[in-house]
Amino acid sequence: MEEQMAKIDLSNISHTYNPLDPKPTYALNPFSMTWENGKRYAILGPSGCGKTTMLNIVSGLVRPSKGEILFDETPVTDLKTEDRNIAQVFQFPVIYNTMTVYDNLAFPLRCREFTKEKIEERVKAVSDTLNLSSFLNSPARKLTADQKQLISLGRGLVREDVAAVLMDEPLTVIDPDLKFRLRRNLKEINEQYKTTLVYVTHDQNEAMTFAENIIVMDQGQIVQVGLPKDLFEKPKTTFVGYFIGSPAMNIFHSTVFSDHEVKINDTTIKTNSNLGNLKDKNVKLGIRSEFIELAEKEKSNTVKIKLTRVEDFGNFKLLTGKMGDLVIKSKVEREKPIPDGELNLYFPPEKCCVYSDEKLV
Amino acid sequence: MSKLYTFLKYFFISFWTIFVVAPFLWAVSTSFKDFQSVNSKVTYIPWLDFEPTLEGWRVLIKSPAKGGVDIVEPYFNSIFVTCTASLISIVLGTLAAYALSRFTFKAGFVRNNDITFFFISQRIMPPIVLSIPFFIFLSTIGLLDSLLGLVVVYIVLLMPIAVWIMVDFFNRVPKELDETALIDGCNPYQAFYKVVLPNSIPGLIVAGMFCIIFGWIDFFFAFILTFTEVQLLPVKVVALNSSITPWWSLSASALVSVAPLIIVAFVVERYLSKGNLSGALK
Repeated sequence: MEEQMAKIDLSNISHTYNPLDPKPTYALNPFSMTWENGKRYAILGPSGCGKTTMLNIVSGLVRPSKGEILFDETPVTDLKTEDRNIAQVFQFPVIYNTMTVYDNLAFPLRCREFTKEKIEERVKAVSDTLNLSSFLNSPARKLTADQKQLISLGRGLVREDVAAVLMDEPLTVIDPDLKFRLRRNLKEINEQYKTTLVYVTHDQNEAMTFAENIIVMDQGQIVQVGLPKDLFEKPKTTFVGYFIGSPAMNIFHSTVFSDHEVKINDTTIKTNSNLGNLKDKNVKLGIRSEFIELAEKEKSNTVKIKLTRVEDFGNFKLLTGKMGDLVIKSKVEREKPIPDGELNLYFPPEKCCVYSDEKLV
Repeated sequence: MSKLYTFLKYFFISFWTIFVVAPFLWAVSTSFKDFQSVNSKVTYIPWLDFEPTLEGWRVLIKSPAKGGVDIVEPYFNSIFVTCTASLISIVLGTLAAYALSRFTFKAGFVRNNDITFFFISQRIMPPIVLSIPFFIFLSTIGLLDSLLGLVVVYIVLLMPIAVWIMVDFFNRVPKELDETALIDGCNPYQAFYKVVLPNSIPGLIVAGMFCIIFGWIDFFFAFILTFTEVQLLPVKVVALNSSITPWWSLSASALVSVAPLIIVAFVVERYLSKGNLSGALK
């Protein structure tokens, strides 16, 4: 595949759907970001947080209210969708009902006046990757929903000249088994051809397993951009802590006690955060249930809880306990014996995150 | 309960079939009768009840000079006016409907729905309201009593139907289809005729059928806007009546008038049931 992909810069982009309103509500608050050539990105966030708007701005279906988009340093904000060399796959399969599968896949190439031989070669390659070869001559409308979505995906991948392939929750209608295989295929395509892939999803597992970089969004704002590991271990806001991971991060109201310590109820917890400026302030302490350990006896950084529930998930057990009115969840190995009644849980200082005004200290 | 339901269902369908088909059978039977068979006594079955004759049908193609009524010319006039007006209405109506479905228009308090309603309101108005304006308009531009004049008027009458049906149809064609076509490299016009239009064939056929039906059956405007030069079929059929009603030729002409619509209905019927876009976005 020819190397025609581009670095995509989104510079001070913001968007409102009611610009004439004296107090417009912003679907996307001002942000800047760069999508490097050939990388895999996932945009993760709850429904209505502005993920699709961001994609539509990049593909040109929506013109941003403010800001500029650059492909390889060239401004494309005023360029029409058809001139942008972007492929986009929507959440539900969009196929050309009146055409065969072959014609569907060939359509983007025909629109761009590729030669017949080139079209044949590309359609064959893509249909092989997506297991569509045996349906090439069937009318597209007769295929099942997931096959139709493969066609949509195929139309995105068939072009060699795309700056990026944008996918808006593309695997929603696909069954789990095929979903897994397709995600792997997409990864392979990305590794082999260095196509920039941007994948919108609200499923964190999908995002974590697919992307090199994850962009977490909430209410039109980009909350954190980072590697899956960073998002999991060091969520920049309490929202990311809640949103990423299952169960959500344990977050407790606490007070700063010393430069590195906070107090939850009456228990002092040591952290690695520098809290010098926040003395006596109310903050929040966050820790993943995966990082909380069972302690045999009370020691420093342990909290005593009253066990209220033990759930067996097969590969691990989820303990739910109460410390006063605080609920704490901890994931422990399945084999580990769980004592009844009261237990001590150890919070490793390096895994504790402190949040002031919902932001990581 | 279910037996009673089945019985009632079939009873109703049978009753309705008789109700619809009986007049046709009556017209078919009458078209082969002569004055004697119609007026002497009630007769139904040819050869048994009466001696069939083709006189009622022959009259329709005989020239007036030979005692006929010659509906051939009005017949072709009607075909020309209906088809031309329907075609133009569908083309213009489809374009208007696409714009109304995909773009947002604002002019003062007027929005897309108001514009669509404006089109439909042309059909809500009693035709008599339009008769004088149309008459004056055609007479001003010198198209009174001409086929072209009728085509113009029929476009005005048929386009609202096309717009109405196609707006609703395009609203059901997912917007993502156009967007995908744009992303795939079409410009907006190509997206319309290469992707959206082929997906809208069922809608176009339904709209076309309604235009043809409403164009074909119009008597009112054909009657008031033509005199001696041009005559359309409905006017000619009504004109067949005289002091002695020629039931045989009236029946024959009614049958030939309705024949094209029956053919259209048979062709279009399959699209009526799937007059929605199934499967483009699912």
